[in-house]
Amino acid sequence: MVPADQNNPGNRHSHHDSPGAGETGEPGPEKIIRIEHVSKVFSTNQTIIAVDDVSFEVYTGEIFGLLGPNGAGKSTLIRILTTLMKPTSGTAFVDSHEVTKEPEKVRSIIGVCPQNSTLDLELTAYDNLDFYGRLYDIDEKTLDARIWELLDMAGLRGRADAKAGTLSGGMRRKLEIVRAFLHHPLILFLDEPTIGLDPESRREVWKQISMLNTEQTTIILTTHYMDEAEKLCDRLAFMDGGRLISLDTPDNLKRAMPRGDLIEIGYETLNDDVLPAIRAHPQVSAVEVQDRKVLISAHQGSSILPVILDDFEQFSISVTTVSIRSPSLEDVFIYLTGKKLDQADATSQKKRPGVR
Amino acid sequence: MLRGAIAIFRRDFKKFLSNPFVMFITLAMPIMYLVIFGNAIGGSITGIPLGVVQEDPYIDYTPLFSEGLAALQAYHQPDKPAQFEVTVFSSEGIAQQALNDGTILAYVVFPSDIAPDRPVRLYVDSSEYTVPALIQAGVASVLVRLGAQNTLYIDNIYGTIDYMQFFGVGVIVLAIFMTTMMGGGIALIRDRELGIIEGYLVTPVKRSSIILGMIGSGTVRAFLAGFIIFIVDILIAGVIVRGLDSFLLVVVVLFMTSIGVTSLVVAVSSRFSNQQEYASTIAFFSLLLFMTSGAFYPVIGMPSWLRWITVINPEAYAVHALRSIILRAQGINVIGTDLIALLVFSAGAIMLGIITYRRTLE
Repeated sequence: MVPADQNNPGNRHSHHDSPGAGETGEPGPEKIIRIEHVSKVFSTNQTIIAVDDVSFEVYTGEIFGLLGPNGAGKSTLIRILTTLMKPTSGTAFVDSHEVTKEPEKVRSIIGVCPQNSTLDLELTAYDNLDFYGRLYDIDEKTLDARIWELLDMAGLRGRADAKAGTLSGGMRRKLEIVRAFLHHPLILFLDEPTIGLDPESRREVWKQISMLNTEQTTIILTTHYMDEAEKLCDRLAFMDGGRLISLDTPDNLKRAMPRGDLIEIGYETLNDDVLPAIRAHPQVSAVEVQDRKVLISAHQGSSILPVILDDFEQFSISVTTVSIRSPSLEDVFIYLTGKKLDQADATSQKKRPGVR
Repeated sequence: MLRGAIAIFRRDFKKFLSNPFVMFITLAMPIMYLVIFGNAIGGSITGIPLGVVQEDPYIDYTPLFSEGLAALQAYHQPDKPAQFEVTVFSSEGIAQQALNDGTILAYVVFPSDIAPDRPVRLYVDSSEYTVPALIQAGVASVLVRLGAQNTLYIDNIYGTIDYMQFFGVGVIVLAIFMTTMMGGGIALIRDRELGIIEGYLVTPVKRSSIILGMIGSGTVRAFLAGFIIFIVDILIAGVIVRGLDSFLLVVVVLFMTSIGVTSLVVAVSSRFSNQQEYASTIAFFSLLLFMTSGAFYPVIGMPSWLRWITVINPEAYAVHALRSIILRAQGINVIGTDLIALLVFSAGAIMLGIITYRRTLE
């Protein structure tokens, strides 16, 4: 399982250097969701462990990201938290309500935007919101104004009377996100909010999510896009194969990479003697040669780069290209799980020919 | 081209084989047709409840009465059980009451000692289909066999009723049945199949609200369909409504029937997640209920083991109530039981629907 110190409940901006500080008893941020050893096993034809002994907490007001490939158990976990499924074992609390014992109370304080579209395509944009407004029991007097406010927020005022089926994918998604926000929920669950959207629409959805978060709403989103997680989330939980692999802020996750930054130096002809010289620097953790390039992993890469270039000059190797980059979340994920994030994607696409 | 065709064939056949439930229903349907049509409609009607009474002043049974009674009791088609289930009444008044209440379908009045030449009178409930003709034929042939000289006087107490009128009333129930079969709970199942359900299951809406809302909408649609056919019946099929009170009673019965049948269908839908399975199940049960309701063939013509279905069949009560009002001009005193039965049935179905509705995705 996850080492306890990864699961740090301390202040999210200052706890990197003192893992486990929050457990010493100092009052941390308020916790709005508590998940304790939740597992979910499906056993229809074959036994599948979708969620495997997951425990973590979500703080009030943060944007919390659940990150992992398809089939990692993110959606199942969200469904447990939103009372759509019962955990096989373990407990989960949403704002002090246990999800299996007080599902009604949980439902009244959450807004959910499921992964697959749940808009009624035969109804207009307005009617979709109106329908949910009534299900959420919003006062008749304020409902109409609230719907227009949300349509404005989604930029859909002009399409209010258009059937949802005639809206573009991005518009539908935005409509669905504001729909989950009709009743000012304490917590907003967004399951893969930008899946299948073009870059422009994704940016707009991101803007919308940040805007909703400023209203002191806690947002939990699942995604398998690293850029999305990095851009939006205050804290991230990596999931793979139903397990929680790691949990921290995006910066801390990246900093925890033992290999540091990646430096690539292209050459014309290589003198092998240079390699031991590079390795001799204490900051350098790995050196490889690949495709007429030397790949160097090093901490504080930008400060060591000039020194390394000096080494090249010393051995009279002419350098053709130089590049340096910080590890991405993707690199962190590969390091933690040994596989790429969209690997699961690629295999699932193979099973369904014709979807491309 | 052939390869493509085979691919389509294989895909379709795999789906067919992977769903044994639909396959079972597909076979059960024609077998049900065979049993019901074969037994009921093709077979002969036996055990018709018939009253026998002797005219006043009553002194003693006349030979004609005794012989007639014996002959009617013994009367049967070759290789069939007795055609009539004969009850002897002590006075014409009691027999008439029994006929009005529908406990017997006809009664025969034999002349008394003092006026043995008066005609034999036959009073027939003419609101049923084929049964009046069978009774007439049976009584006439008994008289001929006895060599009685008396003429046979026949009184169709509800007048002559065309099959069009008889069936027209059944078609009102057919309209309700069709609407619920096509609509009913299908929207719930489509929501489940398309995943739309996931959106509203996470709202605080109660499952009783979901079921009641579905039943409400289905009831209104079924009622409108039944009502329109009722108007069409009046305009085209020659169905006569005798007054405003009959009209209002029909409306009440239509409404109660719509609630009952819709509740049943929605209750079934709350447990299904596949449109095809649901549709074939509903088609099966709807047809069973409609065919045993007596809408187009008298209940009395069905084998006794099939007749118990009519006891729990809301459509049978509906057909009975509508015929009582429209064809026999009877009122709330006769159809009260039907209304109570429909009410009990609706309440049970609504409860079942709410209890079995799954409030989760599992």
